[in-house]
Amino acid sequence: MKILTTVKKVVDVELNIHVENGAILDKGLQYVINAWDENAVEAAVQLKESHKADTTLVSLGSGDNTDIIRKCYAMGIDDAIQIDDPALANADSPTFARVLQKVYEAGDYDLVITGKQAQDTDAGQAGIMLAEFLNIPCVSNVIKIEVTDDSHIQVSRLGDAGTEILDVTLPAVITVSDGINEPRLPAMRGIMMAKKKKINVMDLAGLGTSFEDVGGTAPASEIVEFMPTEKRKGGQKFEGDPAEVTAKVVDLLVNEAKVL
Amino acid sequence: MSPLFMTLLLVVGLGIFARTMYQRIHLLMALEPADRFNRIKDRLKNMVIIALGQKRLVGRKKERASGIMHALIFWGFCVLLIRSITLYGEGYVHGFQLPLLGESSILGYLYIALKDIMEGVVLIMVIWAFYRRLVVKPPRLHNTWEAYLVLGMIGVLMISDLLYDGARFNLVAAYGNPGDLHYFNNPAFGQEFIWTPVTVLAGNVISGFSATGMERVMGLMFWIHIITQLTFLNFLPLGKHFHVITSLPNVFLKSLDYPHDKIKLLDLEDESVWEEETLGVNHLYQLNWKQGLDLYTCTECGRCKEVCPTYVTDKPLNLHDFNDTLKAELYANADNLILRAKLAKTLTGDAEADAKIKEKIAVFKPEKALVGEVIALDTLWACTTCRACEQVCPVTIEHVPRIIAMRQGQTLMQGEYPQELNTAFKGLERNGNPWGIGYDKRADWAEGLDVQLMADHPEAEYLLWVGCAGSFDDRTQKVTKALVKILKAANVDFAILGTEEKCTGDFARRAGNEMMYQMMATENIEVLNGYNVKKIIAACPHCLNTLRHDYPQMGGHYEVIHHSDFINRLIADGRIRVKKSLAGTLTYHDPCYLGRYNEIYDAPRSVLNTLSSQGLNELPRHGTESFCCGAGGGRMWMEETIGTRINVERSREMVGEKADTVAVGCPFCLTMIEDGMKELNKDEEIRTRDIAELVAEQLA
Repeated sequence: MKILTTVKKVVDVELNIHVENGAILDKGLQYVINAWDENAVEAAVQLKESHKADTTLVSLGSGDNTDIIRKCYAMGIDDAIQIDDPALANADSPTFARVLQKVYEAGDYDLVITGKQAQDTDAGQAGIMLAEFLNIPCVSNVIKIEVTDDSHIQVSRLGDAGTEILDVTLPAVITVSDGINEPRLPAMRGIMMAKKKKINVMDLAGLGTSFEDVGGTAPASEIVEFMPTEKRKGGQKFEGDPAEVTAKVVDLLVNEAKVL
Repeated sequence: MSPLFMTLLLVVGLGIFARTMYQRIHLLMALEPADRFNRIKDRLKNMVIIALGQKRLVGRKKERASGIMHALIFWGFCVLLIRSITLYGEGYVHGFQLPLLGESSILGYLYIALKDIMEGVVLIMVIWAFYRRLVVKPPRLHNTWEAYLVLGMIGVLMISDLLYDGARFNLVAAYGNPGDLHYFNNPAFGQEFIWTPVTVLAGNVISGFSATGMERVMGLMFWIHIITQLTFLNFLPLGKHFHVITSLPNVFLKSLDYPHDKIKLLDLEDESVWEEETLGVNHLYQLNWKQGLDLYTCTECGRCKEVCPTYVTDKPLNLHDFNDTLKAELYANADNLILRAKLAKTLTGDAEADAKIKEKIAVFKPEKALVGEVIALDTLWACTTCRACEQVCPVTIEHVPRIIAMRQGQTLMQGEYPQELNTAFKGLERNGNPWGIGYDKRADWAEGLDVQLMADHPEAEYLLWVGCAGSFDDRTQKVTKALVKILKAANVDFAILGTEEKCTGDFARRAGNEMMYQMMATENIEVLNGYNVKKIIAACPHCLNTLRHDYPQMGGHYEVIHHSDFINRLIADGRIRVKKSLAGTLTYHDPCYLGRYNEIYDAPRSVLNTLSSQGLNELPRHGTESFCCGAGGGRMWMEETIGTRINVERSREMVGEKADTVAVGCPFCLTMIEDGMKELNKDEEIRTRDIAELVAEQLA
């Protein structure tokens, strides 16, 4: 079985994000691997360990993603491709899905595993669109993958009503939720050994396509402006006679907060 | 007596002994090197105080009785060693005496008197030891046949020598000395009998024999004594009584300055170490010879487990079993280890030739994996690195560095470690703190407190090292703020690093993650040296210990002061004034990394005594014998799922002492004890406070 997984490098949301004039300030930012993609990588590596799958990783974007790719190598991924093209800096989900389609078509994959969404945009579209473009099955929000045979898997997904269990015919795209596994922290030895592994870096032309081909020049959506989230204000504390305090709170809820 | 028989006994006895010792030493030499032959004077001093002086046996109040017993047996043996030479001499020369110790000198008389008393004393001690093992049965003791056999042999040695001399006395006094036996009779000092009451008593016990019978008894006792002694000597290296031989060298070769062997600074850049699994202790042969000698020396006295927070709370770590298992494994693989070391010595540095040698070496890998099979994972990861075991070990065995080195192997090479650590490691890697909170929020606690940053005030006299807990943990932030209040009240010129500070890497290092530690240390040292920092105040003993003892290995040299020490100076110098009005009873919990690792016991107590008019109530386990809170050695970031909880055990002790306020000097202890009190539903009654909080409360 050949598995393709995707990883995206995202801004570390643990940090305060500063926005100025509608744009994110680069000051003090740091970038990390998208957490759900880490689950995807872990899922792929687990399949590799249990079913001798071949695992390939692809990372899209502009700029160097070597650090996160090395980490995935250390986790156990076999091969990695990085599509590094400045044109992709602000590309939208359909564009990314088209690039992934090209990567998929260049290989001979049975299964694509992606994170269910990225922590930065929370769009959750690329994986699903990829399946649509390829016209293959897609299951989102997956928390369990079991291999039935060479051309079938059974997956569990978290649906609105509970856990759904589905038989899926391969090839297919699976987007995983964090409930699927606890991504391993690679052994230090793995990290050191991964330093030597080769990463296949190419731009869109190297992939045999162009920004226009993947729809980048006519995006379906564009980022217009970033706005900072409002900071939560501290609550108010009332002390005194319970009856009086209750009356006061009710009054505030009715007249000030206007929620009653 | 009989030179031929004596020669035969000596040749056989010493021959076998020499062979065993050669094997034991040869095995040690096959292990990794350790540099322990410097500073001979300091080493001799340790040997005199700890080994000859039996400091850790007689020095501990709790164990004083049995300590004195052991010390008297030991000292008795030392005295009798000289006597033994005389007896071996007697085998060849009738009436043999050592120069200066014959009847012509008062020294000779003094010696026989001392020997006489010591034989009686040792005999009584042996009887007591039997009684202790058979009737009292202290739980720490490992009651084995070996222990009884050795006690029995010691008893036989004493009795046979006393009866030998007793028979000699009887022959001289009652039968006119038929065999022209030698005995002291110097007109100036009197007859030998006057000086040796115990022997006279022994003589009286066997006074019923005829002259011939008495001669036979004397000869029999003589040979029993000699044969028992040689048997005893040969028995020693086979079991736990090897310590009789190895304790003195083991103490002599112990670590100096820092309480145990410092964690080795590993060269992580060298690619070959990753390929050949040479980081940490993954295999038996990666132990160094001193660690091997530690294993030889373990007496299985059980003091270590009795004070071990993990053993007491039913975790699988039992240090004397740990040592015993490793020792057995060492012996079982002795031949392979020696052959392996021989081959390793032939490595030339030439890649091609070495590849062949390495292939041969690979054959000598032990059958069982050191960690996982010989030592269970749960055992290895239970340790809190509190050092209580090392502090009480009479023969100065260093358990903790060995455990950390084995953890290094697991974390760096095998990737086998408690997975809960992943969150903390990841947090460290990304944001420089085990909580994983955004690094840019590190100085948020200081908002509105007018605390200067090093970046704005690089000439500050002191750097206040806030630490991760002090920066990110809500509870500990209060400690940091209290400390800032004190420093400001005393007009101390200080600044913080703010977002430039990172975790010191303490827990990562003690969890074996040397790589993460070095990442943290490198960046911190770069920042600290960049500001030319000289003096650091730290409220966290783990930070303090790492900054003080670990960072010099990487080029960071600072004077690091614990806040309790600093506050103590401020009070002594009159720079702050405190009210002595702290209400209720006050007790203090010694943090391991402050006390046992850095010997800071007095400063916190001195500060606390200025706050409370009632003074400080000591806990049963305090000072050097303080009981760990359970959070050291990376345990703060691991689940505690086996046995009972260490922090609850400690909190229960505090509840038992009816303390109103428990003072601590470490953020981990603060969390653990406060949680323990909550668990026991005592958090309303008993306040757990850092020393700084109590001082800030009482500022005049």
